[in-house]
Amino acid sequence: MKKPVIITFLLLLSVGVFSQKSNDTIIANNAKNLRLKVFYFHITNRCNTCFSIEKYVRQTIDNNFANQLELGIVDLYIMNCELPDNRDMVKKYDAYGATLALTSFVNGKEDISEDLTGWAFKKVHDPDIFIAELKSKIEEFLK
Amino acid sequence: MKKIFALNLLALVLTTLLFFGCNQTNNKTEEKVSDDTIAQVEQKSIDSLPATDSTDKKGVVEQKIDLPKVLVYNFHITNRCVSCIAIEKATTKTLNTYFSSELKQGRVKQFILNVDEDANAKIAEKYQAFGSGLYVTRVFKGKETTTDLTGDGFKFAKNKEEKFIEILKNRITEYLK
Repeated sequence: MKKPVIITFLLLLSVGVFSQKSNDTIIANNAKNLRLKVFYFHITNRCNTCFSIEKYVRQTIDNNFANQLELGIVDLYIMNCELPDNRDMVKKYDAYGATLALTSFVNGKEDISEDLTGWAFKKVHDPDIFIAELKSKIEEFLK
Repeated sequence: MKKIFALNLLALVLTTLLFFGCNQTNNKTEEKVSDDTIAQVEQKSIDSLPATDSTDKKGVVEQKIDLPKVLVYNFHITNRCVSCIAIEKATTKTLNTYFSSELKQGRVKQFILNVDEDANAKIAEKYQAFGSGLYVTRVFKGKETTTDLTGDGFKFAKNKEEKFIEILKNRITEYLK
């Protein structure tokens, strides 16, 4: 009698873990072309502001850098910083909560990083400005 | 008759002089008392501050009258998320742990404000705080300097509290100088 209960519990647990994992977005199409990684880390229990930041980041890239994303010039990482699988990335990018960062790459190696978290929380209440300024920052990195 | 009149006049002049003279002395005494009272009050409030160096008492008095103040603003909306609550909690912990005497003296003040309330509209507008926000302001000689620690709050307060506390502590310590 106990076995089915345990199996059901483990199944539910694994479904829960995998469904959390499936929320992460990693778009990395061609490491050879890579010039910029856009990171947005978030916690599990997200607020509206956090969702809005992700939404505007996605809009900025989809509307302005879709081609670069497809070619692998720009990579996009939307990740839950509380998942055990992301622990190394969290440590590397010092992203223990909501964190927006840009990291440039030269010849496959990391070059300059800019933490835009404070900026993002300040500008998120004006989507037009958020998108316009993030677009400029990405363009600056791609020069 | 003339002599009596002259004596009366002399007496009147002397009385008048004496009266005004006494009044002047009284005024001076009152001013002095007032000065002393102010000095005593200042000295008392300064004595309650901890000594920071070996400067003579008067030197310390002059230094401490003009100390910077630090205002810590935790802005939030009505429906708060876990990160926002964590920021406030870690901020309060930082202040109580490292700046309890400054809090008592009024040199450090914490304001926890809901930006959705009309009463806080003006201050929220000043800081451009439309949602959760953490701002540390140094006030010194009428000049204000502000650091926006919102980003660090969201990054660290919930899952890396010790790092957040370190950042906030360092900023306040710097601003109190």
